[in-house]
Order: sequence, then C-alpha cells, then structure tokens
Amino acid sequence: MFRKSVFTLSAALPLVLLRLAGAADPLPPAAEWLPPEPIVSIEVSDPNRLLDRLLDPHTTAAIQETAAYQHYRKTPQMMEFLNGIRLFEASLGVSWETALRKLVGGGAMVAVWPNGDAVAIIDGEDADLLGRLHEMALAIAQGEAEKAGQPGRVASADYRGVTGWTFNGEEAHAILGTRFVLANRAEALRAVIDLKAEGSANLASTAHYRAAAEAAGSSPVMGYVDLATLRHLTALHNALEGTSEPLASLLFSGILESIRTSNWLALTADLHESLLYVAAVTDGEPVEEAAAFALPKSPGEGAMPNLDVPGRIAALSLYRDLHGFYAAKDDLFPERTSGLIFFENMMGIFFSGRDFTEEVLAELKPQVRLVVAEQVYDPAVGTPRVQVPAFALVFGMHRPESFMPVAEGAVQTALGLVNFTRGQQGLAGLIIDRLEHGDTRFTVAYFSTVDAKDPDDLDTQFNFRPALARVGEFLVLSSTEGLARDLIDVLTAEAAEAVEPLPGVHSLMEADATALASIARANFDQLVLNNMVEQGTSREESEAGITGLITILEHLGRARLEMGSQDGQTRLMLDIEPNLP
Amino acid sequence: MPAQQKVETTGPVEAGPCWAWAPYEPDDERPWDLARAGHLLRRAGFGGRWDRLQEALADGPQATIDRLLQPAAEVEAFHRTYDAYEAALPRSNSVEGLTAWWLRRMIESPQPLLEKMTLFWHGYFATRNRAVQSTELMIGHVQRLRAHALGNYADLLADVVHDPAVLLALGAQENRRARPSEPFAEQLLAWCGLGPGQISRRDVHEAARALTGWFVLRHEMRFIEREHDTGVKRVLGHEGPFTGDDVLQIALAQQAAPRWVVGRLYRWLISETDEPSEELLAPLVEDFGRDYNIGDLVERMVRSNRFFSPAAYRQRVKSPVEFALGIIRPLERLVPTVPLVEHLALLGQELGDPPTSQGWAGGRYWINRATLLGRHRLAEELLAQGGAYGEGLDPAAAARRHGREDESSARAWLLALFLQDDVAPEVREHLMRAVHGANGTSSPALRHFARAVVAQPEFQLA
Amino acid sequence: MPRTRRHFLQSALGSSTLLTLAPTVPAFLARTALAAAPCRDQGDTILVLVELAGGNDGLNTLVPYADDAYARSRPTIRLDASQLHKIDADLGFHPRMAAFHRLYQEGHLAVVQGVGYPNTSDDHEVAIRDWHTARPGDTYCQTGWAGRALDHVYRPDEGRVLGVSVGPERRPLALNAEKVPALAVRSLDQWRPQGAGVAGRDAGPGPAEPLAEEPGAEARLLDFVTHVTVAAYADSRRVEAVASGPTADYPSYQLAQRLRTIAQLIRAGAGIRLYYAKLGGDGFGGFDNHANQIGNHCALLEELAESVAAFVADLKSHGQLDRVLLATFSEFGRTVRENGRRGTDHGGAAPVFLAGGRLRGGLAGEHPPLTDVARNALTESIDFRRVYATFLDRWLGFESEPIIGPGFDPLELV
Repeated sequence: MFRKSVFTLSAALPLVLLRLAGAADPLPPAAEWLPPEPIVSIEVSDPNRLLDRLLDPHTTAAIQETAAYQHYRKTPQMMEFLNGIRLFEASLGVSWETALRKLVGGGAMVAVWPNGDAVAIIDGEDADLLGRLHEMALAIAQGEAEKAGQPGRVASADYRGVTGWTFNGEEAHAILGTRFVLANRAEALRAVIDLKAEGSANLASTAHYRAAAEAAGSSPVMGYVDLATLRHLTALHNALEGTSEPLASLLFSGILESIRTSNWLALTADLHESLLYVAAVTDGEPVEEAAAFALPKSPGEGAMPNLDVPGRIAALSLYRDLHGFYAAKDDLFPERTSGLIFFENMMGIFFSGRDFTEEVLAELKPQVRLVVAEQVYDPAVGTPRVQVPAFALVFGMHRPESFMPVAEGAVQTALGLVNFTRGQQGLAGLIIDRLEHGDTRFTVAYFSTVDAKDPDDLDTQFNFRPALARVGEFLVLSSTEGLARDLIDVLTAEAAEAVEPLPGVHSLMEADATALASIARANFDQLVLNNMVEQGTSREESEAGITGLITILEHLGRARLEMGSQDGQTRLMLDIEPNLP
Repeated sequence: MPAQQKVETTGPVEAGPCWAWAPYEPDDERPWDLARAGHLLRRAGFGGRWDRLQEALADGPQATIDRLLQPAAEVEAFHRTYDAYEAALPRSNSVEGLTAWWLRRMIESPQPLLEKMTLFWHGYFATRNRAVQSTELMIGHVQRLRAHALGNYADLLADVVHDPAVLLALGAQENRRARPSEPFAEQLLAWCGLGPGQISRRDVHEAARALTGWFVLRHEMRFIEREHDTGVKRVLGHEGPFTGDDVLQIALAQQAAPRWVVGRLYRWLISETDEPSEELLAPLVEDFGRDYNIGDLVERMVRSNRFFSPAAYRQRVKSPVEFALGIIRPLERLVPTVPLVEHLALLGQELGDPPTSQGWAGGRYWINRATLLGRHRLAEELLAQGGAYGEGLDPAAAARRHGREDESSARAWLLALFLQDDVAPEVREHLMRAVHGANGTSSPALRHFARAVVAQPEFQLA
Repeated sequence: MPRTRRHFLQSALGSSTLLTLAPTVPAFLARTALAAAPCRDQGDTILVLVELAGGNDGLNTLVPYADDAYARSRPTIRLDASQLHKIDADLGFHPRMAAFHRLYQEGHLAVVQGVGYPNTSDDHEVAIRDWHTARPGDTYCQTGWAGRALDHVYRPDEGRVLGVSVGPERRPLALNAEKVPALAVRSLDQWRPQGAGVAGRDAGPGPAEPLAEEPGAEARLLDFVTHVTVAAYADSRRVEAVASGPTADYPSYQLAQRLRTIAQLIRAGAGIRLYYAKLGGDGFGGFDNHANQIGNHCALLEELAESVAAFVADLKSHGQLDRVLLATFSEFGRTVRENGRRGTDHGGAAPVFLAGGRLRGGLAGEHPPLTDVARNALTESIDFRRVYATFLDRWLGFESEPIIGPGFDPLELV
C-alpha cells in the first residue's frame, strides 16, 4: 500500500509552487519538512553505504547469475525497463550507477499520513543532473499527454516562491536545488512548502519520533511507525483485539500486547556482508496479564537456543508458561471453540483423568521447542506419494522420573485410540516398539508395509513413525523415528555443553528456505496438480509457477527472528542470509 | 449473424412416433439456425463455443451429430492424461479432489457428449461418497461410468454390480448367506425398471439370496464361496440356483428394463416437462431392448424431429453443473475448479455425493428462490476479477478473439453466444440499453453485461 | 393493473438488470410474485432445530438436585445445589444457565423430560442417525425426517425455500430429502446477488409496452423461472433491508451468530419453515465429554442459554416470537454415574428444550428415575418421535404419519 501510494501519486489540480532561486543554504533534515503524525515513515540516511553493497560488482554478478534473474530478464516488462535504462544513460551521458549516487546519495525519506497524503523527499548531490533529468521526464510526459489527447495534464504553478509541477494532473513535485520533493496530491506538497517557509511543528519535533530515532541509533535505514495514530484505524484496531484461537494466542500474545500498548515502533535495517539485519523496537512492554505467561520471570531466563538437526527446515523456541496460560484459558477465551473442547476431552482421556492443568502442564518447564526437518525415508519401507516433513516437540520436565511414565502412558493410549479407530474402518494399525539409540531407549510406532502395493507410492500415513523419548530432563515427541534419533543426539550434546537460555528472549524462530525448497521439489508433481485445479491453469503454467516458487525459496536462504523484552522496550530482530551463488 | 428465429413454429408434433424419431431435416418451417445449433450443443454437451456453433451452422445438423458421436482423434490421449491426474490424488475419504478434476475434464473435453452421459449415469446410479468414503473407489466408479457411458447397458450394469463403491453406497458390503442385503437387490431390480407393483417382496428377497457371497473387504470386491447361497431361488417367475448375474439376465429380459432407461434418457436429452406416452417411446424401447446399445439410443434421440421440436426446446432446467459449464466453456478459459466444487454444492449439486440413491430430482427442483440467487452469485464470481476464480472469465478477451472489437458488436456476440439471440426483442433491447458501462469493450463493462445475460431466465433452461 | 404490476416489479427488482424481465412477466406471474410478498409468511409457523452434538448430559443441564442418587453417582462432577437456578423443589438449571431460568419463568421455555426411544444405541453414529431419520434401526435410511416432511409439502412450481441448515453443515441428514435439495446458509450474502454488480447502474424506467397476458405452452417452464427470479429478488431486497437495519444485541458465540442470521431471515419473511443449526463440533469437539467434563459443559451450556435468550429477545421485540419454536436435540444423554475421568459416557434418555412465544411453558413428561443401576442410563418416558409428531402436526401443520409413521401421539406442548 505504501509503495503504491507513492508511485501512483495523484492530485486533480495543477500546482502552485516556488522556485528556489539558487539553493545556497544547506538544507535542513527532511523530517523537518514533513508534517507530524504520519502513519509511517522510512528514511535512508546513508544511501551510499547501501549502494556500495548493492552495486558491488560481485553482488551484481551474483544476482545476474541466478536462475530467477535469468527468467525475469526475458519478460517483456523487464526488457522494457532495461531499454529505458539504456536510453536514460545515453541521454544524460552518465552510467545509471553514477546517476543513482548523484541523485539520491544525500538521503531519502518517505512518509504517509492517515488522510492518504504521501510525500517523498530525495536529496541528491548534483542539482544540474537533477534538472536535466527533470527536463527529460517533462518532455516524455508532455508527449504522452498529447498522445492521450490531454495536453493539459502536464502543468506547473508557483506557490510561496516554489515552482510545482504535475505530469499527470494528480501527483505534484518540486525541485529545490539538489532536493527533490514528490507528493501524491497538491495539498501534500503545499504542506511541505508551508513547513519549509514557516518552520512550525513538524515530524522531527515530536517526542515519539525523537525517541524512536534514538532507539534506532545510527542505522542507515530507519522506519518509523506511529502506533498511537495507527491504532485509531479500525482494521488494525480489530486485528489487535486478540484472537479467540488458543493456539494463535499462545504463539503471538507477547507481540500483540506489546503493539497494543506502544506509541511507536522503530525499524532499522542494515547489511553486513551477505547478511540483512532488520530490527524493530517498540516502547511498549507486554505488561498485560493476558501475556504474562510469555514473559521470562527473572533476568537470566528466556527461551533456549534452537536445536540443530540435519535437514532442518524450521525451528521454534518459545518461553511460555503453559501451565499459567492454560489455567487462565476460561478468562482468555470465554467461548470454547470445538477445537479447545476436543483438546480438553482428548487430554482427559490420554492422561487417564489427570487434571491437565495441575497434573500435566504443571510438570513442564516454560521452555518449549519445535523442530521441523526433512525426512529420510527408509528404503526398506519406501517413499510416500505426498512427502510431509518430520516435526517434533521438545519439553523440559520438572520431575522427569515421575512424569515420564505418565507421558508414556498417554502417548500409548493415543496410539491405541488411533489403532482402534483405524481398525473400525478396516485399516491397519500402528505397531508399537521399543528401540535403542545410544544409551536411550525410546518408543516408536509404525505402520507395516505388508499391504502396501507400490513402495514408491505409499499412502500419506507412511510419513509418520511417531516416537517418544526422554533425554535427561527433556521429553521428545516426534512424528518420525529419524528425527527422534537426531534429537536424542543433539540434546545429549546440549546437556554436555551446559547450554544456557537466551536471557529476555521469549520467541526465537529460525527457518531455512533451502530445505523447504527441497521438500517442495520432492512433492513437485503433487504441487503442480493441486495448483492446476486450484488456479485453473494449464500444466505448463503450473509447472513454471512452482518451479519459480522453488527457485525463490532456494535464494531466500536462512532467516532468524528473535523477539524479547528488555529495559521497558520490546525488541524484534530479524536476520536474513540470502542464498546467493 | 443469422436472423433471429424462435423455435416456435413447428412441424407435426403430434404426428406420431414414426415422425417423432425420424431424423430431423431442416425445412422452411424448421430451419437449421443458431437457436437449434445451440440447443444441440447444450443437450449433447455443455454449451457451444463460438467456433463450434459456427461449424454446426455450416455443416448442418446430421453432420454435426456425426462429429459429436465420433470421438476426435485426441480423445483417447486426453482421457489418459486425466486418468493419470486423478490417479495421483492423495488417497483420502473425500471426493472433492476427484470432482475438481472431473469438472475440469468436462470443461476441457474434446468429446463433451461422453462427459454429459457420464454425468447422466452418475445421477442414475447415484453412488454417494458419504457412504463410500474413498477417493480411490469413487475414481474407479466414475471411470466405469465413463467407460460404458455410450456403450452397452447390460455391460454397464454388470460392471456396476461388481463395483465396490456401489456396494458400499448401498450398504451391501457384506452379502452374507444368513443375511442377504435386500436394499441391494431392490436397487438392482429398480435399475431394470422393476419396482413395487411389478415385483413382490419375495422377488426382492430371492434376488438378494442370489447376490450373497459378495463382500467388499478393504476396498476390494471378494467372492466368498461359503457365504453364497447355492439354493434354488424363484425370481420373477423363473426358478434356479441363480447367481447375481443370472438375476441380472432375468431382469433385463423384462419389458420394463428398456422402458425404464429410455424414459430416464428422454428426461435427460429431450424434456423434463412432458410425460411421454407409451406409444411415443415404443419404437425406442423395442430397439433398445434388443441390444441395450446406449450409443445407438442416444444417437436416435439426438437426431430426431422430436429433439429439435418445441417439445424439447428449453424444456429442461440446467443443473448447476450445466449452468456453470454453460458460462465457462463458451468463454474459452479454464477456471479454478476447486472453488467450483463448493459453489455447485451450495446450489444443490454435490458432485460425487447426490442426496440419495435416487440421484437428483432435477427439473423444477433445481430452481428455488435461494438457488436462483445462488446462480446469479456464481455468475458474478466467475466473471469477477480478483475473486474466488482469480482473473475470472473475460468476455471482452473472448469477443476480441472472434473479431468483435467494438462495444455493440461484442454485446451482440455475447447474446448470440449465450442465448443464440433467442430472447424477446424487448428484453434484448433493454439489455443492450440498460446495462452499459462507461467504456465500451472495456473488460469490466463486458463482464457486467455477460452477468446480466446469464442471469436471464432463458439461460437457466437447457 | 399494468401500472401496479410495473410498480411491484420495480420495487422488487429495484435497479437490477433483472428489470429486463419486466416486459415479459405475464399478469398471472405478477400476481404470484405479489403473493410472494412477506404478508403471506406472517401466518406461517417456523421450527428451529438446534443439535447439541455429541450427547448432552441432561442430568447436569437440568439437575435433579434433590435426588440423593444424583449426588451419589457423581462424586466429582455433581453441581452444588446452592448454585443452581432452581425451578422447583427437585430441579434446577446449571449455574451457567441463568438465561434459561429466566426464559422458563417468563413462560418462553418448556422442558420435555426423559426423551429417547427403546433400545437406544450408545454408538454416536447410529444414535444420531436415528434422531435425524426418525427411523431407529433402519441403517439404510437415506432421508431425514425434516427432509421427508419438506418433500411431502413442497410444491415444485412455487420455488420456495422451506428448509435450510445455517452454519458450516452443508447437508445435515435431518434435512436430506429425495427431491428437495438441502440448502446451506453461510451468510446473508447469499441473498444479496446485486452486491457485486449484477445491478444495472442506470436501469431507468422499463419500456412501456403492455405485458404479455398469455404465455404460450412452450413458455411454461420459462414462466416458472421468471416467477422465481422475481420472487427471489423480492426476498433479496427484504433481506437486504433487514440486514442493513439496526441489529439486535447477540453475544459473540457462534451459535448466537447463527441464530441471529435465522432471526434476520425470519424477520425478512423469507418463507423458510425449518432451520437447522448445530452447537458443538464433531467427534470429541462437542458435548461428548468423556473426561474433564465440567469446564467444557459449562462453556457449551452458557453458549446455548445465552444464544437462545438473545434470539428470543430479538424475535420478541420484532413481534415474531409467536411464530417461532426452537427445539434442542441430542443423540443421547449420558451415564448416570461418572466414569473415573471426571466425565460421563454414553447414556439414554435426556431432556429436550423448547423455546418460543406460543408454547405451554414448564415441564412436560416425567423425570426418569436415576436408579436403574444395571443400565447406568435413563430410560425414556417419552418417545422422541412423539416430540417430532408435535412439531409436524401441532406446529408446522404438516401431517406426521407419512413422515414418521403411525402411533406417535403429539404432546400438549403448543
């Protein structure tokens, strides 16, 4: 929405603006020319740092080598774009890289206000180049307007000594020396010129913006979101209302509450080598009772680092007081969804009437970890038609000796119920077995392949080989035997290294899109066929679409998202490591 | 464009069965025009694309019917491809995966008559997945129906009786000697036109005894010798140690059997509004009873004077599937069929899961105040951009492909395409005048216009 | 007359492109379309069925608190008598059902005690099929009792909608019929086709030609479709008017939202006689509380009581309550004794709750004794088919015998 409103900038009237007869004075920071209380603003204070990285010949070459780039290079839109660049270079007599640095090297800032106004301020270093570029664009715009039979839509006018232009009767822009100001409406441009002339209350003078800028530090890119203003927009207000889905609430509570109580959010981004860092800070803390279960109780506490297993697709580590959360469920969710009722019922049955809150969840430590990984299929069993990744939950237990037999009983009851139900439907059941891995004995249940017709085309159920293991104080509940074995190794090593929790962190997510791409590749035919009937596309179109998706996944690389609260602020840090050749 | 010619002036409708079933030859009274070509392509398929309509107009009715009956060369490869798509579906207890492919097959098929007849047999045998609970078995069932759709009825019935899906749907997965399944036997006899009045409870019971021994075990048919009742049964006056196949032979030899099928097919291909007289159907019943050749029966009906007479024209209500396909096929684009499955169900047609073993009542039962609004909403969705059907159908693009570049010719083309111009002149004039957008052939304006055309009552009729 | 017709069609179709129908709508159709106006519906009674999925524990819904056997049988899940909403010296509503207690005192709620049937199955699938088909033991029955009733009274040439399921259930067996398609209502948007743009932007007045009076023989089916189209758009506009008007206060429960949709359709005069809605999910997602019953049951009963109370209040304030009867049903009650997991298992007879404006409030039937130790379930004092016969014969005015068979005398409830 943001991009769109900047680039489809529009206003009905021709404009009135002043020409700055010779920009002698150094220009004040862009934020001082912007009205206060935008919904969002983004500023790039040091474009050259980013440009150095982006225009680095090594990076450019790497990008151009990717299959995705090769694919898009041949699309008509991209060809047209590249031709435009060539024309531009020829007309102005500079390479596009140089021009880019000269035109935006001084910094750029974009902001959007609740009334729909949007303004971009771009500072360059070469007023002459900017002027020539504008002349060139003006000529093109006039040509287009005449072709469309609306020559009047390209116009200019003066306002408080500044000349404002519009190329399409809607957008409005002005050039003040090396500074280029672009607005989506004449009124928005006028407001900028008013601020420039009068120096009255502006964005840079508000306390929230200043606090956010301080929190952002010296980041080359800073985004500022005025949450106080944004909350008044109904859509967001509703989105923040919280959810009636217990699982969603368990996962996202810490974040929603924090946004609900914050005035601002500062977003920073930076590049180091091939890593992209994004961090977000808000001034609110999830102090509400509803989210207390996601707050580490003492300074040293927090979520555990994620577990690393071969072929890992994603891992999630949470600090969540499950006992406290579940005990408060009737206050949190006055309406019980059928899902919650079902869960409550099943837990009652699996744990043979034990009170799920006080006798089960109270036994678990607040650190919960989830691991999703590719699975390797045993050639002796075969490969299913639809391949599902393996996943496992790891819980810490307060009293493993006494609780493990309870958990073991519950899991076997569940397997028994599955078997009973399948038996009623004339389907084969799971065979329960006890196996050893190193010093650990663990439980596995598996389907026999006696009835399977084609080992390369097994039913979906052969993706599951549920396993339950105890490693020290940890309980591992895995969808496959293979992942259970990997986790036994990793947890044993973790215990040996005495790994500590991450202080203050309540959620840590890591994902590897490359592994996801590999799963997608394994399910390629299924994805294509689904896509055909879901999108109404031909086989060729679907194949191209899925191939494109896989390519994108392969280049997304790895991402790590960490969330936590410290010193009265909520912090969110995102690191992305794209997978460039 | 041919002059508008309502199918109103008629030949000797009451001229008796001989005339009724003689092949239609166009004459001044009953010219071969767009309306009749559209009628043929609707009934023997799912509505004509423009090139097919034009081809039909040029070739005349009988040559067009030749082509409808003779599968194009690529048909076999087409069905092989789709069979493979269906076979790749994950095995589950739902049928929606299959029906999404089935609808797509109907949209794309180079031989729409075969799909139309497969749909007929689905309504006829009405195997319900809510009882079968298996994608795999339903795929097998529909493939059986397709394999025999224009083949031999006796073979079809013999195949259906040994189809695990059918037995599951009839609650007959265990035909024990000690507990013969009467609903199974009853239904089998009903498929031969034998119901209360023609048969006694005893006939049903004895027929059920003949069917004992057949079981569906883990989705497969199994004959368990010791569960088969080898005793003598007495069915419809015949006596012997019959098996199920024997009972089938006996039932098919009854006059009621061909009469039943002919009657059902008359409703499907010719008219839902009249009860044809015995005299009218007699020639068809006699011929069909001799060899049970479905293809010949269909051919005779479709070629006939009766078929092209007012007694047939717009005397059927389109089922939801026919309604949707009648919009999609003429606009020459594929649409996502997954949402279509759901939308058709809301209109009362759950493909793969009819309400009871009697199939869909059809006719006026399809249309009520809610389903009618539902049809209009479905048309909106299909023609909308950015809704459940992605880019949606684009009438402007189709019109351009056929050289209709400007506004009024594109509109006239859509009226000819969907309604063959056969609407009252005032309605036509009103549509052309009242429903206009700002910008002529712009895509939104024509989408809007097409919605109005397919919302007309005439379009609800087949 | 032509003027009136034109007038009506315009008010029915508004500016929709369907105005193109105007010149071709014959006189007699205009008359029937006029008859489709809501006035005729005003006299029609409406039945709303609410299924309590999974088998509701009647003993913890309307509690026989004075019976020692109750307290004895339920050491952990018995409800404290002091917290019940007592209706007499023996019985009291669950603590979270204050709303039902209020309705009961106002005479808008009746309880039929001990409803069930002989040889009740304790298998969910079988028992719920029996309740839906009203043909216990007939495992092959494919139609529901309500569906058969609709087939019986439906006139295909009218194209009215008589029965719908409101909510995600597309085709509950109770409504399944050989002929009349079971319809599912997800939202009132299904009545608003012009929302997305079928409406003409500037239809203007239609042409002035007189309407054709005599449809040809060929046109009969077409006339039928035209008539239903006009009537459907008349419905649509009325639904639109109700939906865009002020809405009554309903709690946020799913059942409440479904009942609100039903109330809106009733107020709009959509002509629907039978509504079906379900409370609780399939499997163990509803009333089937084999373990830790208390919490789940509290939440479900509160949802039921508050939702029904809001529905009754809404209809009452719009003067519609007298035409509406709401009835709950569930496949079976639960065991008298709890099962060792703080839950109960599948039992026998249970109460049916009725709400409405024109019913005989209070208790009907005898409460079955809790002392059948061997069976550990309640034995029915009233066959459920007698309750259905009451709905059909006494309330809807449909003859019950062809639908559920002979020998089921209606009860004196309405």
